[in-house]
Parts: sequence; C-alpha cells; structure tokens
Amino acid sequence: MKTFAVLQLAGCAGCEVSLLNADEWVGQYRLAYMPLVISAHDVPEVDLLLVSGGVRNEEDLYNLRRAAPRAGKVVAIGTCAISGGVPSLGDRDDVREVFLTDRRHHVPQLLPKCHPIDAVVPVDRYLPGCPPTPELFMALLTGPPGFKMSAIVCIECGRKKLRDMKPNRFTGFQRGEVEPGICLINQGFLCIGSSTRGGCRAPCPRAGHPCVGCRGPSDSLIEKESAAWLSSISRVISGLTDIPAADIDCELRSPHLSLFLFQFSDYSGPGRTPRPKEKVM
Amino acid sequence: MPSLTFPLSRIEGHARVVIDVEGGEVRSASFQATEFRGFKRLVQGVPAEQMTVIVPRICGVCSTAHHIAAVKALEDAFGVEPPPLARTLRELLLLGQLIQNQATSLFIFTMPDRLGVSSILGPGRDTDADERSQIAKHALAVRRAGTRLITAAGGQFIHPVKAVVGGMTGGIDTDTARVVADELASQLLLACELIEIYARTSFELRERIGTWGDDAPAYYLTAVSDSLPNYDGDLLRLLGPDEAVSTFPASSHNEHLTYEQPDYSYSGRTNCRGEALRANSLARINMAESMGTPLADGYLKRFRDNFGRPAHAILLFDLARCIELVYAIERGMQILAMPLSDEDTDVPYKPKDGEGYGLVEAPRGPLIHHYVIENGLIADAEFVIPTVHNIKSIERALMVAARRYITGDKIDMELEQAVGRVVRAFDPCIACATH
Repeated sequence: MKTFAVLQLAGCAGCEVSLLNADEWVGQYRLAYMPLVISAHDVPEVDLLLVSGGVRNEEDLYNLRRAAPRAGKVVAIGTCAISGGVPSLGDRDDVREVFLTDRRHHVPQLLPKCHPIDAVVPVDRYLPGCPPTPELFMALLTGPPGFKMSAIVCIECGRKKLRDMKPNRFTGFQRGEVEPGICLINQGFLCIGSSTRGGCRAPCPRAGHPCVGCRGPSDSLIEKESAAWLSSISRVISGLTDIPAADIDCELRSPHLSLFLFQFSDYSGPGRTPRPKEKVM
Repeated sequence: MPSLTFPLSRIEGHARVVIDVEGGEVRSASFQATEFRGFKRLVQGVPAEQMTVIVPRICGVCSTAHHIAAVKALEDAFGVEPPPLARTLRELLLLGQLIQNQATSLFIFTMPDRLGVSSILGPGRDTDADERSQIAKHALAVRRAGTRLITAAGGQFIHPVKAVVGGMTGGIDTDTARVVADELASQLLLACELIEIYARTSFELRERIGTWGDDAPAYYLTAVSDSLPNYDGDLLRLLGPDEAVSTFPASSHNEHLTYEQPDYSYSGRTNCRGEALRANSLARINMAESMGTPLADGYLKRFRDNFGRPAHAILLFDLARCIELVYAIERGMQILAMPLSDEDTDVPYKPKDGEGYGLVEAPRGPLIHHYVIENGLIADAEFVIPTVHNIKSIERALMVAARRYITGDKIDMELEQAVGRVVRAFDPCIACATH
C-alpha cells in the first residue's frame, strides 16, 4: 500500500480539516505522518508528501528541508504553501518590522517574510484552494475516474449572466440583498470567478458571496503576468455592467483587496517564474 | 537534571511542553506555542467589510467562530441589528462547529489516549485494529455531520461565507434542512455509542492512573446562557472559586481579565486576579443549569451524579464535551425543523467609522473580536482568544502531573502520556492562540 504524510507549516490547519472529510483514500493509502491526528514526531520515507502552510519561521524551514528528500513526490497544498495566502498580507514594510524585531527566547525565530514552499524545495504538484475541497483532495489522492473540473469558477457557479441587468456602480464587497440565480456581477458585486481556476464547485458564489479567487488563476492566466489577469477581470465586468472603466480599475487595484491575497501574491512577484500549468490541479 | 521537552501532537498547531527540574524538584512547566503569523498587524489597513473573509483564516478548525465574531464586531461598530432568522442561522453555524470540534477532540485527539494507540487513523499494530477502524469510521461520520450543518448554513464548512454584516446572504430551504436533519438524527445514535466507549475507557484510564488530574478550584469563563445554550454569545460570565457568578460585556474584558506575554511562547496567557482561569467545555457545564434537550440532560445528570458541581478535575473537560456533542446534535435537529427560509435574512445598513466588539462562544470558550475603524479601514484589531485564557491552567495542571511522575531522581515514563492528556483535555488551538 502506498504511503503519504502531511507536513503542516505556518497555516491554519484548514487544509488538514478538509482532508479529514475526504477519507476515501483509506483503502488505498497508509497515512504515515500527520501530527494533527497521529502521535509521531518525524516524517518517515513516504510515496507522497503533502505540505500545507507557508515557510514562516526557522523551524518550518528545517522541517521542510528535512522531510522533502524522504518523499517520492512533494505536493504543495492550499494557498499558503503555494503563494502565501492570507498570511502574506504580512509582506508589507510596516508589518515586516514585527517579524524582524520580534526576538523572543526559546521559540523558532521568524523569517522576514512568509515563503512559498517551492522557494525552498522542488515541488511536483500544486493543489490550490483555501482550503482545497474534500473532493479535490480525493481527486489528488485517488484520481477517481470521471472526476472533471471546469476551467473557471464561473462555469461551476450556475448563476445566470444577464445582458439587460447592468448596475452602474459596485454595491460593495459583500453588501445588500442577493438575488438567487443571477450572476453576482450583474448585481454589482466584485466577483472574480471568471479568472479563477475551477474545481471547487463554486461554493461561495452559490452561497451568495463573490468569489475571492482562492483557487488562484485559471490555466489560461497562470503563466501570464498580473496585468493580463486584471484586464481579463475588467473586461468581464465591463461587459456585464455599466460601471465606468475608471471605477473598475480603481476597485481592482485597491491595495488590500482580498482577491490579491489569493490570486496575485507571489505568483507575480519579481524574479519568480510562473508555475507550469501542467503541475497545477 | 536537564529540562524535559515534550513535542505535542493531536492538537491543533505547533506547540511543546518544557518541564524544568532541579535537584529532583519540578521547578516549572511551560506551554510553548512555536508559531506566529501576525494577524493583529497584518489586518491593519484592510477594508473593514473584508474582515469576514480574512479572519476565518486565523484558523481552519475555528473558522466559523471567527467568521461570526468578525460580522458581529462590524455590526456593533455600524449599529446594525440582524433579523431574528439571521441569528437563528448563526446559531446553527456555531452548533455545526461544536459538533465537528467536539467529535474531533473526543474521538480523534483524545480517544487514542484511552485506547493506548498513537492514532485512530494511522498505522497500528494493536490487536484491536478492527474495533479501532470501526471507531474511526464512526468518528469521521459524526464530525462530518457537523461539517454538513455548517455547509448548509454557511456555504462551506471551512471558512464559511454566508454571514454578512446585517444578517446572512440566505436561509436554508426545507429540502436541504430535512437532509441535514436526517443525517444528524442517524449520527446521534453513533455519537451515543461512541460516547459509551469513551466513558468506559475514560473510567478505565482513571483506574489505571489513579487520578482525573489537577482538581484545584479555578475561575471559569463562558459566554453562554443557562439553558438551551446559544453560542452566539451576549455577555461574559465569570464563575469564581467562591462560586459567585459575575457578568460583564465583551467591551470590559480588560477590567476582569489580565493578559501577560511570556517570552518563551508566541501565545499570551490570561489570569484572573493572579489565579488560573479556565474556559472551554468544563466552564460551560459548570455554569449550566440544564442543557434543555432530553438526551443531553440525561448525560448532564450522569456527569453531576459522578462528579458534582462545580467539577474541577481536568480530564472532566473531555467528558463534558460528550454532553455538548449530544446537545449540539439535538439542538441542531430542533432548529432544522423550524422554517428557515421564509423571512428576511438581512437588513440594510450603512458602514461607518467607530469601534465594535463581537463576542461568540467558540468550542474553546468565549472569542472576542474588537475592531477600530477609520476611513472604512481597520485601524486597530484585537483578537481575544479562548485558548489564551487556558494557558495558565494548562501550566498549573502540567505542574501537578510533573510532580506526580517526577520524584527524587526518578522519572516515571507515564509522564509523557500524562503531558499529552493534560494538554488535550484543554483542546488548545495554537493557530488561534498566536494568530
């Protein structure tokens, strides 16, 4: 039986909790290491190493460097391990100061920034999502026949895009009544499901909340620079609304807009080569 | 004798215990959280209304509690009252989280300590592998029922999205409610079976080790009411060692609780007038008049008959979780039988600058989010985390265990197991505690 291990670095354990809801691997794999559910203090040799969370401190760095060579394949799980996720909001000068000046005793020292794991070890496969759904974990581990995912979240959302419902301003990030069955952009929400990788089955827009892009860019955008993604999102919003181009541009470039955490953090950082789309699930 | 370091597992996050011994005498026991992401600072400058999406990422185990605490803090700042149906839906969300959490803590984190195995899921060489895999299957099914309830009420079970300022984005239609209620009904039976195994093996453990652990009185803190506890909390309630209860709003937590920052941990530590404070299941059960649902009240009576009220021994935190698991399933079924989609789920509002507090009772105790909003952006944020309230109590209980198993120049190897049991009884969440 094949073996796998789960190494949790700096994250929220959401990926691990999602994995617990995906137990169809039980007959096919032996879970050899996952501190959340097993008392075992070192990663053994395994076929597959799933790594969640970013590299935030010296201990994360040590654990990752130690574990990766023992694995046949390394998979980066979730947005933090791949591109920083929400903790990468800390990669700003005013916040970085906290990490650079905090020198507590007896605890692992913090690194100046949170690194994606492929900055430290080679990664064979990426499973983005915050967190990836149980279905995606199962697809990764057991590759069930018949598993299909759409290119973008929009296709999986099921809300209808209307040509004659054109708001002339944004209603806000998550404000107001949500009409069932109608595209959230038609209702003035800044939803970025049109550029976000599918496979999650669109739980957020289905529940009436705009897609914030946690699955990262779709295959057609992932190897391009962020300007291409911005203009793609902007084009979709222009087509479905009467919102002035300048307003769309302003909203999309708002510095702390949460979609940036997911879609753009570190994918587009200077000196980083894009992840090849073949490796991204 | 050098200091003893115990890495921890079967808890959420990264932490360890260090026990210092000198001349055969236990000097100190410290609980060290070893991770830190800096949420307090990194949310500064974030548009206030995006907090409901960002702060659930503090923790994937407790994301529902953070989601609702964020919404409530913003509502407090904006002066918005959500409609009654929205409150009911939020109660369901928190019940779903309690089911998921207590099932995980009981059957995945602490059951292995009763069975003498490293995990109910991982590799094992024990002779009872069949029984264990049956327990694992049922445990995962019970916790999954909780996640289904969160999904129905919150859109998705990790980092839910449906709670918004002013209410919820939508209700639960009758068909979905029926499916979820049916699943809860079938899992209630499995949960009760698992609880019988859990209780039996807990008493066997007590027989073997001769103690239920640190049982000195402490302060207890919760945000739930007496009967039919609603985890969408209103006021904080503090039970003192003299058994007097005082209540206060979240905004005055600083007047009743004192926070310190040890230099050996990324987590803070709370005390109450210099004494240990306890939150989580035992605090709620010690202050509950009744649960208000039939099976849970039966379990509560059994608990009281055995251990009295208030009960103090730390392994009773685990047994108290059993009562709450049953209550949350029963209460979830009751609410799902009500109409949940025929009224407005939200009210209009206007964002404004100011200050707000959001209080909920998370599985680990009262959680407070406190935001200061300027120009629509977060100027300051404070996260008061229930695990932090328990750190001093964890360290006190570790001292009791260490003194039991370290005598003169001998260390009983049971100490390692005891450290794990002590910590897991408090079900600490390190991602939250350090944020």
